[in-house]
Amino acid sequence: MDQIFEILGFLLIVLTLFMQWEVYVKSTIVLFAISSFIVAIFLVLLGLRNPQEEYLLFVLAGLTVVVRGITIPVIINKALHRLHEKPWRVREDKPIMGIGGSILVSLGLIMLSYFLYQGSLYGILKVKSGSVPIALFLQASLLIITHKHAYIQMIGFLVMENAVVMLSGWVFGGLPFIVEAGVILDLLGLVVVSSLIMRVRENTILHEGDNYNTELRG
Amino acid sequence: MNQHIMYLLPLLFSLSGAVLCIIPVRYLERTVSVLVSFLSLAAAVYLLFQPNYTDNFFYVDGLSKLLMLTIALVYFSTVLYSMAYFKRKKNFLFQYRLYYFLMNIFVAAMFFSVVVDNLGLIWVGIEATTVSSALLVATENDQVSIESAWRYVIIVSVGLAISLISMTFIYGSAGTLSMHELIIHHPENRVFLIGTLLGLVGFGTKAGIFPMHTWLPDVHGKAPSPVSAIFSGVLLPVALYAMYRMIQINPSVTVRLFSMILGILTIISAALLMAVQRNYKRMFAYSSMENMGMILVGFSLGGYGLLGAGIIIVSHGLAKSGIFFLTGNILTAYHTTDMKGVNGLLSRMPRTAFTLFLASMAVTGAPPFGIFAGEFFIFSALIASYGWGIALFLLIFVAIAFISVNFKVGKMIFTSHDEPYNGHSRIETWIPVVNLTLSFLSLLCIPFFEMLLKNLL
Repeated sequence: MDQIFEILGFLLIVLTLFMQWEVYVKSTIVLFAISSFIVAIFLVLLGLRNPQEEYLLFVLAGLTVVVRGITIPVIINKALHRLHEKPWRVREDKPIMGIGGSILVSLGLIMLSYFLYQGSLYGILKVKSGSVPIALFLQASLLIITHKHAYIQMIGFLVMENAVVMLSGWVFGGLPFIVEAGVILDLLGLVVVSSLIMRVRENTILHEGDNYNTELRG
Repeated sequence: MNQHIMYLLPLLFSLSGAVLCIIPVRYLERTVSVLVSFLSLAAAVYLLFQPNYTDNFFYVDGLSKLLMLTIALVYFSTVLYSMAYFKRKKNFLFQYRLYYFLMNIFVAAMFFSVVVDNLGLIWVGIEATTVSSALLVATENDQVSIESAWRYVIIVSVGLAISLISMTFIYGSAGTLSMHELIIHHPENRVFLIGTLLGLVGFGTKAGIFPMHTWLPDVHGKAPSPVSAIFSGVLLPVALYAMYRMIQINPSVTVRLFSMILGILTIISAALLMAVQRNYKRMFAYSSMENMGMILVGFSLGGYGLLGAGIIIVSHGLAKSGIFFLTGNILTAYHTTDMKGVNGLLSRMPRTAFTLFLASMAVTGAPPFGIFAGEFFIFSALIASYGWGIALFLLIFVAIAFISVNFKVGKMIFTSHDEPYNGHSRIETWIPVVNLTLSFLSLLCIPFFEMLLKNLL
């Protein structure tokens, strides 16, 4: 089972690398939806491994599919469609770092998280490849930092949340169900609110340019 | 009355207010919000005199009650002020009714966060404040306020993701997130320690603690004044409350020292940034940051430091919300947040000018206001624990903050003369006066605060 977990973790890291590489927002949304499905598979497997919490983890996997895998990508996608005539052509125009550079940094972060984990936590937790969720979290942070497009920043945050689910399930055996459910509901609310703000933000930038920097300085 | 329900009363009032705000009847949202905020305040005052209570769902102690009172006071005054403030505003991002709906939900989430026992649920409550308040920041629907709302969402959410990681670490190492269990017994290992430290950083983001404070001046600078008031007055202390719980469940030297360093760095950075501000709303945002740093130092010291922190929470909440109401009045009259454009406040708006002068003195720790007493207790505890050196060092930055704010406010008030401005309703000028008076009166309640917090001192 641990090897399957490792494969799933590896897949998530590769998907996040693809997100870093991808410039089109729509493709990034699809990649996020796929990564959420992988997280759901992970939760199902975790449920099979822990029969005492089987049902709760299955419910959580179901919630993950419905909320993270379907609803959230649909909401973000709809916001994109409302704003642009050709949503499939919406892309990150001004990444803070080039694709090559950001992938290199991303790989560096994977190594950093490995050494961090091995050096500090592995001795206590004894969970092999526990550095994978940490790497995922750092990669998601990089995705947010290196992009200016609100939609990609939002996806970066959602990948971060997926990393936390992986961390809590894989390394620590999960959070109490009531907390996990609360987290998912909060996330859904946040995406609904954010999609409205993102839409208005992109709309104003589209029509007026980004001239807010002088007022938001200091 | 059933003890379980009693502690949920403020939450239930604000939540029912939110539900009623959805009904599309003219003026209903305003009437209902005033009513429920008043009922919440009455309930919070009633709960002050009730015993502490802990079970598997609730954790209500003196600090919870103090926060409930502060939230309820600022909530009531914010709702009253909003009615007058938004009369002149147009081009809303959403229906006016939704403003009150979100405000009530936002306050309900804060009431929830300060009474629950489960750390994970505190996280859920604090994240819910982000969800409900993000749109409030963008109410006025211009590009800068929308950009600041976006920065708020993304920076605070990332910070809270860090605190969610901390929850997994704490749960993974202790097997529970129940505060009352963790206070009695917690593991002494590295995983638990890392969990609490991450929790401090994560919740610190929401509290405007250095180095993840960057959203705070943007939001306070651009949000409508009533929203800035409630953010500064109570949202930041609610996040600090979660930080205090982290210290409480792991009161080790490392955690205390780490939180004290964060608090000191926050005071230093806020004081230095305050000195170079040209936007008066941003300047007061940094002043809030400085006060949050001071509260965190008090929390990390414990004992009389904690009492000082409690006093600052109440006194700052009232005075700073009053200040942000006053900045709303100034913005309406001068149409700018640039200090250069605001002159002759005393001749143009005498009551606003006079209140602003006193309120600025109050939030920067001048006697005889509560913040002075709070800082006095914190400095006493600091000297007792670490000696004079660190206290004098910190005092330099407190002095910089005091001079920066009061010099700049003085320039706005006393320079040149102008025609009187009579555009404000009485309510807009009197609410800050009432808040400032209550902030002053909090000084007289110190023995009562001490009694409330005696289990924690």
